[in-house]
Amino acid sequence: MPLLEVEKLTKRFGGLTAVNNVSFDVDEGEIVGLIGPNGAGKTTLFNLITGFLEPDSGTVKFKGEDITKLEPHQIVNKGIARTFQVVRPFRHLPAIANIIVSCVSPRGARKLEWLKSPARKALDMLELVGLSEMMFEPAENLAHGDLKRLEMAKALATEPDLLLLDEPFSGLNPIETDYLTKSIQRLHLDGYTMVIVEHKLHELMKLVRRVVVLHYGEKIAEGSPKEVSQDKKVIEVYMGRGI
Amino acid sequence: MLEDLIVNGAMLGALYALLALGFTLIYGVAKILNLSHGAFYMLGAYLFYAFATMAQLEPFLALILAIILVGFIGAIIYRLFVSPIIESEVIVMVVTLGAALILQYLVMMLFAKGGAIEHTPLPRLLSGGLYFIGVWMPLPKILAFAVSFSLLAMLWIFISKSKTGGAMRAMAQDREAAMLMGINTERLCMLTMALSATLAALAGVLIPTSMYTDAKPDMWMEPLIISFAVVILGGLGSIKGSLVGAFIIAYAEQFVLLFLVGGESLSGTASLAVMVLVLLLRPKGLFGKRVEME
Amino acid sequence: MVTRYLRRFYTSFATYILDIPPRLLALLLFLLALSVPLLLAGNVKGGDYYLRIFILANVNALFAASWDILVGRAGQISLGHALFFGIGAYSSAIFATSFGLPPWITLALSVPFGVLVAFLVGFPSMRVRGPYLALVSLAFPLILIRLSWLESPINIKAVMGGDFGVQGIPKLISNGYTPLQVRIFEYYFSLLLLCVGSIVLYKIARSKTGIVFVSILDDELASKASGINTTKYKLLAFAISAFFASLAGGFYAHFMTGADLSTLLFGGPSKGLIVPGSFTVVIMTIFGGIGTIYGPIVGAYILSLLPLLLYKIIDVLSSLANLGLSIADIWNWTFLIYIVSVVGFVVAWQKGIAAYVVEKLDELTETEEIRKDRRKGKKGKKGKKRI
Repeated sequence: MPLLEVEKLTKRFGGLTAVNNVSFDVDEGEIVGLIGPNGAGKTTLFNLITGFLEPDSGTVKFKGEDITKLEPHQIVNKGIARTFQVVRPFRHLPAIANIIVSCVSPRGARKLEWLKSPARKALDMLELVGLSEMMFEPAENLAHGDLKRLEMAKALATEPDLLLLDEPFSGLNPIETDYLTKSIQRLHLDGYTMVIVEHKLHELMKLVRRVVVLHYGEKIAEGSPKEVSQDKKVIEVYMGRGI
Repeated sequence: MLEDLIVNGAMLGALYALLALGFTLIYGVAKILNLSHGAFYMLGAYLFYAFATMAQLEPFLALILAIILVGFIGAIIYRLFVSPIIESEVIVMVVTLGAALILQYLVMMLFAKGGAIEHTPLPRLLSGGLYFIGVWMPLPKILAFAVSFSLLAMLWIFISKSKTGGAMRAMAQDREAAMLMGINTERLCMLTMALSATLAALAGVLIPTSMYTDAKPDMWMEPLIISFAVVILGGLGSIKGSLVGAFIIAYAEQFVLLFLVGGESLSGTASLAVMVLVLLLRPKGLFGKRVEME
Repeated sequence: MVTRYLRRFYTSFATYILDIPPRLLALLLFLLALSVPLLLAGNVKGGDYYLRIFILANVNALFAASWDILVGRAGQISLGHALFFGIGAYSSAIFATSFGLPPWITLALSVPFGVLVAFLVGFPSMRVRGPYLALVSLAFPLILIRLSWLESPINIKAVMGGDFGVQGIPKLISNGYTPLQVRIFEYYFSLLLLCVGSIVLYKIARSKTGIVFVSILDDELASKASGINTTKYKLLAFAISAFFASLAGGFYAHFMTGADLSTLLFGGPSKGLIVPGSFTVVIMTIFGGIGTIYGPIVGAYILSLLPLLLYKIIDVLSSLANLGLSIADIWNWTFLIYIVSVVGFVVAWQKGIAAYVVEKLDELTETEEIRKDRRKGKKGKKGKKRI
């Protein structure tokens, strides 16, 4: 049974159909890429899966359970975590407190060993992403790259089985990009399932085995990176006609 | 009786619309909850009294002078008090509340010697009246209705057709984009505030004179609450909503007054009840913006 | 030496919301507060009046702190907080008169009803946000006031006493004590309530729950994305806030020997005393420093004591300048200057007076190095801007 089953998901905003009849599956342990030009509906799709938006039709199943109508926090506590395209830290809180929030959630608190406090776990998470130095720094003082790492730590602290990453590489310099690539590979080895939306195709294709391509809300292609990059429709969409 | 309801409701509705429109305008353009909106209403009444009764000017001249002066004061309050702290919604509320209290005390000291709450009778603008489909309508009420109706129409045209009106609508939709388009947002906010205050002041003259009520220094609270009710019902920032909401609330109040037993004591309840109903049934109001996602 | 000792209380890791107040300063202020009746007892002529001002200051402070945890921490704007205050006052009063229960029990009973009402209004309030919540919350106490005049189908007026309210309830201690002794007791008891309340609220604000509150304030959607049931926490914030607000109201009823509709209104000056209400609590908290818990307490104290101080100053000035102002005139001037000062201060320094004092103290105890950095334009380590 696939970990995530998205079936015929559709979302309309007035006259605009942002997501149109999209279906795909994600198996446990996979890394799947989700690509498409701007406005293709990728973030909307994430919002639908994570409960921030309610679909007009279609279902989302996680571990066989229908989660389509659940609230966002309920979905997080089932095991799906996401990061946001534009980082959303808790500005007034220091870095460590940002993660403590995740550690207070039911699922995040689950994995606390007997003597560990949420603060201790938050500290571990900070070490994991290399932010221990910034522990007490208010989130609003952190640089963009650090905020991206904080975002990742917040998501990981909820002990997810499935990670949805929305443009994790955006705004990163080459060193940070390299660090992130290695981190994602490590997470993969640790058994996390991931769906990654990304525009930096070079980085993305290094990580994923399978790619889903969206355009104007519809799935136009699905397959291995090589297959997809040779697909005529995909080339047309990214490059325009007449190539 | 039904005719009473229809006619009086319409008149009151136009007046409430005039009152609430300023409130919704300044929210739409500057994104602030102007708690001193009721104070401009009160200032309008008192300045009218000052010009008409104390300075013995022609009533209509007094009216024009009063509302222009209040508009001016509104712009100054915006510049001095609101503009520096506009990023924080909570602090704006405190500051505008403080401004309202300052105005109240100034009025108390200048006009209401002696007692804390003294009634100041306002001059009658006209006397007499006429019958319309069997309902007695005093001339002041007809005048008030005529003035507010025409003003609402003019405002509608101004906001939808003029360049400044377009700039206001642009700011209401996206302040940053408006700035990028070269709109001087600071000046536009001041202008909107002046307009908003002027409208409130006009309502502050029209409503008491047509209802034959006196002016009191603490009379800024009821219009404020009515404005709240109208924009909650109509949707904050929506002009259409304020117009519709004003009439609904006016009719609700008239209904309670005319048809419910013991209605006189309960009429102020209509606006509050409407607020609760909206809260329970349709929190964003009739025409309010949809819930933002991200 | 001393500065280094003071510095120990100022570590660099707290943000301006999680700032640790100078424990030393707080202790000094507490000791000062303890000695207030002793300082005033000598001045018997105005003593009772002054004590009343201080008692109200305590009530306002507790009320403001309760508002802060809801608005400054959890981000739920409430412009009608007098609802809980009034419910607390009325519950105590009604139980005292209708059931003849002893004062300590009626004081305790003020709380459960406040919390109950918090859930009642909290649930529908979850559906609105920001400005809508602010506007609607204003209506709640006003609705209760309207309901209190209702005679049919339920005769609420009989229970709540209409305009007159519920009067004649006993003080907290009465038999065999002089009025002055009762006053002094009321002062110390209100101080006790304030201390206990503020310590509890402060601890909650700094706990995991408090952190979750701030996450809801900063970004409710992101908080949900971290797995937090924000509705649950928002209701919790309402309940905690109402707990202390209604406790303050219950005490107030016993202090005033009754509860009337003014407990549900906006608050304001009355013969030089600042009566607690929906608007005063907002002004006091913001003046003091929203979100800090101790800020509102400081703000409430200052704003409760300031009118009398201003009055004295203006009185002296006007007799020096031979202006011949009546008492009412002086009060009017007092409150005009009062409001202008408060508004002016809030516009100039939005973080509140507590933060202002803390920052100035900070500057006193900073090392030479940091002072040079600050003058250069506030750049901390690694070139990052310090707040």
